[in-house]
Amino acid sequence: MCGVCGIVSYDGPPDLALLRRMMGRLGHRGPDGNGYYRDRRAALGHTRLAIIDTSGGAQPLCNEDGTVWVTFNGEIFNYVELGAELRHRGHIFRTASDTEVIVHAWEEWGEECFSRFNGQWAIALWDRRAERLVLSRDRLGVRPLFFIRRPAGLLFASEVKSIFADRSVQRAFDPAGLDQTFTYWSPVAPRTVFRGIEQLEPGHYAVLDRNGFRKAPYWRITFPERGREPVQDAQENADALRERIVEATRLRFLRSDVPVGAYLSGGLDSSVTAAVIARYTGAPLHTFSLRFADSEFDEGLYQKKMSAVLGTQHQDIMVSPSAIAAVFPEVIWHAETPILRAAPAPLFLLSKLVRENGYKVVVTGEGADEVLAGYDLFREARVRLFWSRDPESEKRTRAAELLYPWMARSPGRMPAFARSFFGRRLDPGDPALSHRPRWDSTSVIKSMLSGDLQDRISGADADDVVATMPPDSKDWDPLSRAQWLEMTTLLAGYILASQGDRMLMANSVEGRFPFLDRAVVDFANALPARHKLFGLEEKYLLKRAFADLVPDDILHRPKQPYRAPDAASFFTPDRPAWFEEVMAERAIAAAGVFEPSLVAGLLAKCGRTGGENMSNTDNMRVLAIVSTQLTHECFIADGEWGALEWSLPDPSVAVDLTNDDRSVA
Amino acid sequence: MNRDTVEQVLRDYDALRRPGADPELEAVRAAILLEDVFGVALSDAEIDPAVFADSAAVAALVARLQGAV
Repeated sequence: MCGVCGIVSYDGPPDLALLRRMMGRLGHRGPDGNGYYRDRRAALGHTRLAIIDTSGGAQPLCNEDGTVWVTFNGEIFNYVELGAELRHRGHIFRTASDTEVIVHAWEEWGEECFSRFNGQWAIALWDRRAERLVLSRDRLGVRPLFFIRRPAGLLFASEVKSIFADRSVQRAFDPAGLDQTFTYWSPVAPRTVFRGIEQLEPGHYAVLDRNGFRKAPYWRITFPERGREPVQDAQENADALRERIVEATRLRFLRSDVPVGAYLSGGLDSSVTAAVIARYTGAPLHTFSLRFADSEFDEGLYQKKMSAVLGTQHQDIMVSPSAIAAVFPEVIWHAETPILRAAPAPLFLLSKLVRENGYKVVVTGEGADEVLAGYDLFREARVRLFWSRDPESEKRTRAAELLYPWMARSPGRMPAFARSFFGRRLDPGDPALSHRPRWDSTSVIKSMLSGDLQDRISGADADDVVATMPPDSKDWDPLSRAQWLEMTTLLAGYILASQGDRMLMANSVEGRFPFLDRAVVDFANALPARHKLFGLEEKYLLKRAFADLVPDDILHRPKQPYRAPDAASFFTPDRPAWFEEVMAERAIAAAGVFEPSLVAGLLAKCGRTGGENMSNTDNMRVLAIVSTQLTHECFIADGEWGALEWSLPDPSVAVDLTNDDRSVA
Repeated sequence: MNRDTVEQVLRDYDALRRPGADPELEAVRAAILLEDVFGVALSDAEIDPAVFADSAAVAALVARLQGAV
């Protein structure tokens, strides 16, 4: 896992000093080495976290005749098989790295190579002869890739802060990006929260050459028509799912030249991946977990149980609200976007623990909730549909109790709650029926925006993610439509980004996600919906497939969403000084996103309770405001955060062909 | 959905029954499953613990409702 950046400039040689500054801002992604390539039209930079072929494999790296160069962040897990095929076709390899497979695969198959890759990647290929840059991002957006288009070229990088190393790039919030964040929890690619900065959509590649800039998908999230799924037998599907998850986990554990650890949350998904490693690799396993002092969030009991069952060497870190507040500016500096939960902060501390223990790769259970239908949102949607068939039915109204057992203790509140919950924006024909309650409750944040920003949002181009759903999605099962929306919005924009890549790479740790393996995702998407969500039983097939490896009380425990203390983290007696600075009235006014008087009222309300027992809406509001202010401070205001750079060691690759006539076609 | 698949779904449903749970609530849980999987709509009278206590009765109910679809 690494950092990549680059410059294409058709009106003169790219600025090497700028490239080095861009690389310096990606030092945390690759502390093991760095390198660059430059010719008269393009420059590629790379900071390396050495995992495969640690002695070779330095980047940028080229093909046999030096006409194709690559800078690459990620892993191509099937590089061994692809390498064998390419050697058979006559390609000559100089290293044992997965990176070199990319350049030869590009030579052999062109843009079709991306659909052959099984992995997680952000790739930039430079074809000197054609003066063509090709960018590519993995199927679901595990690895980030940002860019800004210029009249005569383009800048790209793994993180926005690297692009901002160019002081000529305007730094401002994009109203439409903020609008999306305060609706969907994150911007939806290609949009970001920064004006002019785009991110390549997952599953896409982009080409820039003398003919201009263009993008195309090489893979799409898709599902079969309901009732036409290829295999209807649950046991047959459970066996096939197990086979794919075992292989995906083995690939991610074994294809590394450095030791690999695993996260253990206490839930089903990471228990499955850790159990598969223990059962199918026979290798000693080191597991890492988050603990919380507050029992509302803590899963320590289950973590210890699973660790004991597997015999892992286990370590955990106890996270307090004060610890979350202490690291929150760093968290936002890495996340580069407003966030609506404090949950990324503990994950930042967890990856730090991993790194301190000498590990730089972990396998986690991320993605199972989206791919195999684990979220409450999917269950809620099914209950809403059930209720909608007869809203006056007393029996159907009781379905709320199946989602929220506390309802049984408050029967008097049930009818009103059911109407407000089930009936909210309830149109059975709405393709986003599953997500309206979440989007509506999140959008309440926007009532606190400044008048100016509200005007700019209403005047901006509306991005309606529902309008981008595939035409054939009308024939999918409702669960499939919900999964498509979840994978397109929250998974790529928040789970894999703010909670995933950014919090791992902040401490130079690579995450590997077996549930997002190409074969697992394609197989899971083709399953009958009932095999994923059987009635209200979430991740039904996963539980069936691994019933022998996971203890019953973990297998059947109610889903506990990963959460951390939100507003309460910022109202402790030992609150850090940064909070007063970024939340001061003048700072709120300077950022221009929120209305200062409304912010003051919210802070006073939180102050009275110490941030405890706040509503979900107020918790989100606090996090939205604090993180937006920090995003402004780190990237838009001219503060100290904006200039943070690593001092890079001497590059291990330094190729400068600006004086080579052959660099111009 | 062929008969074998229907029978398999009902067997899978049987395996998930929760002994000791509120029978009325379990009837609602089963109704959600049946309506989703078989594409049928149950009346309030059919969302009845007595019906869902007996696998054969559930199978008969599904067969009748599917015939009516």
